Amino acid sequence: MPRVNSPSELEKLRAEILSKRDPDKPCIAICSGTGCHAYGSERVNAAFEEELKKQGLEGKIDIRRTGCHGFCERGTLVVIYPDEICYTNVQPEDAIEVVQSVKEKKVIDRLLYSDPVTGEKITREPDIPFYKHQQRIIFGPNRWIDPKNIEDYISLGGYSALSKALFQMTPDQVLQEVKRANLRGRGGAGFPAGMKWSFCRAAKGEPKYVVCNADEGDPGAYMDRSLLEGNPHSVLEGMLIGAYAIGASKGYVYVRTEYPLAIQNLEIAIEQAMEYGLLGENILNSGFSLTIKIAQGAGAFVCGEETALIASIEGRNPEPVIRPPFPAQSGLWGKPTNINNVETWANVPLIINRGAEWYSQIGTERSKGTKIFSLVGKINNTGLVEVPMGITLREIIYDIGGGIPGGKDFKAVQTGGPSGGCIPSSLIDIPVDYEHLEEIGSMMGSGGMVVMDEDTCIVDVARFFTDFTRDESCGRCNSCREGLDALFEILTRISKGEGKEGDLELLEDLGKAIKDFSLCGLGQTAPNPVLTTIKYFRDEYEAHIKEKRCPAKVCKNLISYYIEPDKCQACMICLRNCPVGAIDGGKGLVHVINQENCSKCGTCLDLCPPRFSAVVKLSGEVVPTPPLSREVAGRKGSYKRTS
Amino acid sequence: MSNSENGRKSVLVIGGGIAGIQASIDLANMGFQVYLVERSPSIGGRMAQLDKTFPTNDCAMCILAPKMIECSRHENIKVLTYSELAEVQGELGNFEVKVLKKPRYIDESKCTGCGDCVTNCVVRWKPQVREVPSVRDRIKEEDLQIVDEIISEHKTEPGALMPILQGINTKYNYLPEDALRYVAEELNIPLSQIYTIATFYNSFSLTPRGRHLISVCLGTACHVRGGEKVLTTIQEKLGVGAGETTEDNKFTLEVVHCLGCCALGPVVVVDGEYHGKMSLAGIKKVLETYGWEESCQE
Repeated sequence: MPRVNSPSELEKLRAEILSKRDPDKPCIAICSGTGCHAYGSERVNAAFEEELKKQGLEGKIDIRRTGCHGFCERGTLVVIYPDEICYTNVQPEDAIEVVQSVKEKKVIDRLLYSDPVTGEKITREPDIPFYKHQQRIIFGPNRWIDPKNIEDYISLGGYSALSKALFQMTPDQVLQEVKRANLRGRGGAGFPAGMKWSFCRAAKGEPKYVVCNADEGDPGAYMDRSLLEGNPHSVLEGMLIGAYAIGASKGYVYVRTEYPLAIQNLEIAIEQAMEYGLLGENILNSGFSLTIKIAQGAGAFVCGEETALIASIEGRNPEPVIRPPFPAQSGLWGKPTNINNVETWANVPLIINRGAEWYSQIGTERSKGTKIFSLVGKINNTGLVEVPMGITLREIIYDIGGGIPGGKDFKAVQTGGPSGGCIPSSLIDIPVDYEHLEEIGSMMGSGGMVVMDEDTCIVDVARFFTDFTRDESCGRCNSCREGLDALFEILTRISKGEGKEGDLELLEDLGKAIKDFSLCGLGQTAPNPVLTTIKYFRDEYEAHIKEKRCPAKVCKNLISYYIEPDKCQACMICLRNCPVGAIDGGKGLVHVINQENCSKCGTCLDLCPPRFSAVVKLSGEVVPTPPLSREVAGRKGSYKRTS
Repeated sequence: MSNSENGRKSVLVIGGGIAGIQASIDLANMGFQVYLVERSPSIGGRMAQLDKTFPTNDCAMCILAPKMIECSRHENIKVLTYSELAEVQGELGNFEVKVLKKPRYIDESKCTGCGDCVTNCVVRWKPQVREVPSVRDRIKEEDLQIVDEIISEHKTEPGALMPILQGINTKYNYLPEDALRYVAEELNIPLSQIYTIATFYNSFSLTPRGRHLISVCLGTACHVRGGEKVLTTIQEKLGVGAGETTEDNKFTLEVVHCLGCCALGPVVVVDGEYHGKMSLAGIKKVLETYGWEESCQE
């Protein structure tokens, strides 16, 4: 492919690509995001290719391996274009039937998504409630694009924003446009991107750097990864436009090493963009140059902090340092550096293409545009959702997420990962934007949303996050290093039932001290999960401390397993599988758990057949003494012993 | 020398580094007669060679110098430099020691410390730096080739250390000590700096890892779905804790925080292959596909 040398050549190329493509030609799009990959999309893809070959349909039906569609719960996802028929949970064995149906223009009912409430089958992808309530301006193109093929991106209007910026706008105009759109950083803190750019533009020093922060460390958030994997060119285009506005000539993408597929797709994307003359020296003959390199992290949460990220790229010890000087003045190798998150960069081409007016219509007064959240945890429709700012939590969790599995009660949602807070069910109607989340003690963070139901113990969750941050603390600041350890110790004590009067006040004081005396974002936000849970779930903490009771029945030391004598059918399953031999019983004898030996692993509860459900968890009550008569009462149904 | 002179208890301190100096000062202030024996020509030790000290980053000499002076001027301390302990006799509370004082060939009562003889000495005394043999001599030829290749690939770019360490880590599955020493020599970076970085990141290991790498995800989503239980089960089955390798070098178990496939939680990854929605029975099956046998471990 010869390089593209002008905007008109780019348009010509686009027209050429489109003319080669028949919009009515059937195309089987197989999701190859990490979620579906784990379900085995690799094998599904192979099965489809083989099937096409077998039926002699190569060339008549296309296969496209796209990025993540977002509906990870139902993988492997297969969408048949142009009708957008969406098949869920597709297995390699289904290939024959699907290929047949595409040929005959039929729909396979069995593989369609059925609404869990009404049971109605839904044929088209956009009609599925999970997608219907979203506004997918950033994430939407993922499902049409093969990330390994730059032509797919170009065919959808890719790199037109770059050519518009380079040839119809001055760097200052680009900057003003982004400022007017009020694009705010999607990495967590929500700092206005336009402002950040103008600081870097005004700073003295050559060369200037643009950096894309793809060190998505928040456990439970994976939208950056899916963007990089599924649509890497949109991120590259955003960086190019940003570099033009700032006057930067070098760029880095800092990616976690845990994301091998993202690194691979990004490498390919960079290579192809270079080949097409859309990246590198003298882009589109405009005189503007930018080279982009990939820097890999090696598994350290703190590297998401910008000064630590810079140190990591330079090969220094990645500890955050005091700001100022801000990276905009003195960043990579002491040069002005602008760092933005993956999603922030991906927003930029849209703003340039469609204008700040259009963009600022989406969202709320001060939070503009959309945000991608990863909706995970105890929720029916796990996946990535893109919604306009200001949507309520209720809409996200119930309309898009489909509610809580098993008809359980919604208890809380954790936003912002280990830096955010827990939002209780009473605040479910709060609009989701930067201001409101901050007001209630949480934060937007990178966009993780972990839903918790009544079976999730709040103390356990707070302890989990504290364990994570204490592990990831770089150790530079005393308050963070020692303080988080102390928080963890107290929480562990509470979860063991050894909590004391005054522990909650101590946790609060300590949490505030850690926030005040830490240098970087990690320490300043790490106590949030503890502080917000104490604020909203004080009674649950008090149940642990005063009554030695875990209301959600999670904390090991505060629960006991108990076999209800009138339900036990003496089937011996639990008895045989107990790893510590703590269950006493025999044929026809009601089983009894020896509480002293029980290690509380829960194996008996997991294995007790659901039709008996004889094993229960107790907390805060005395375990009843076994009955005198150990004979099994009436044996139920046709159950036969296997022994 | 005996343990009490002039009816006063006396103490012998061996080694005139900062610890010895401080101990001597403390003991002397308590009223003991202190003999501070130091092998080299001057007290001061390692600290005199340092720039800053942990954890406050204070200037090392600024702490040390006043103490050295206090030590040499203290009326209860007798400093014996360029001396070594020759013999110890006696028992607790009643020792007798012999100290060998090496000749200085200079009349100490007349020397003013002007330094003229030092600068004019024809075979000028060299700084006492221990010669470290180059790791190049003992590293295996094939390893040398591999590491050389990785280094030369990245050497010219700025910030080369990270990609080099990642390259070595991918190649060997861990960071061998000799390879790190070699990188330090080649890039002219202190080994201590490489060590800091090698121990900072989760994906680097200084000990060899097993043939199969099992990563258990304990991200938030996996946690609320029971990831902890999956980890304990695997730990019990393999008999190793997180971050450890089984004795037969077959499996290394590690914990990761979020692999970004939360919909599949709890997730276990073996050698890059994802296994989602793990149940207790599923764990056994997965382990068995990688050659784990229940009996041989128990």
